[in-house]
Amino acid sequence: MSPIGREYSEDGIDVTLIRWMLSLTPAERLRVLQNQVNRVLAIRELNDRV
Amino acid sequence: MIEFDFGAVLGALHQAGVEFILVGGLSAAIQGAPVQTFDVDVVHRRTAENVAHLMPVLQLLDAYYRLQPERRLRPAESGLLSSGHQNLMTKFGPLDLLGAIGNGLGYEELLPNSTEMLIAEGVRIRVLNLETLIALKEQLGGEKDLAMLPLLRRTLAEKRSGIQ
Repeated sequence: MSPIGREYSEDGIDVTLIRWMLSLTPAERLRVLQNQVNRVLAIRELNDRV
Repeated sequence: MIEFDFGAVLGALHQAGVEFILVGGLSAAIQGAPVQTFDVDVVHRRTAENVAHLMPVLQLLDAYYRLQPERRLRPAESGLLSSGHQNLMTKFGPLDLLGAIGNGLGYEELLPNSTEMLIAEGVRIRVLNLETLIALKEQLGGEKDLAMLPLLRRTLAEKRSGIQ
């Protein structure tokens, strides 16, 4: 546990990530997800070439 | 490489007046669950009128079946009117058009358990609520579904507690 509170629930879920996502608007959440997917795909493609 | 654009897929469906409900991982993410997904899953209304709205959008998105992609098989109206799943690839990424999910739940059955959400300026879509998503995953009980449950339940609990 960090000095400022508990980051993980008893079932091991990082609640800070959930709270961060909940602090965004639905449109912002969509953009976050989309950017992540495109970054992951770009990295995969880069490594396919190696 | 395909540049994924979930917003473009959903925006195109919305703009064409297609009646649909967003389900699956993307619906969970839009409601605040920190999950990763690579496709857009929607349950569309299986009426002739709605499918007529849907067909030109699929053309616009250059949609074809992901199975045997080299054949570039295009979805037909008959498939979209069925309760089956059409797993498509589009120019903006994968799109799954689901006639029904769970125990045969179609658009009409899921509608009361959906909520409208604004995903871009002027684009308001229906999203399956977290409670129903959790219930469906509990019912399905597959490994992938069960693995996602703790995260979805915790997100719901956080939403309910009002910590945002």
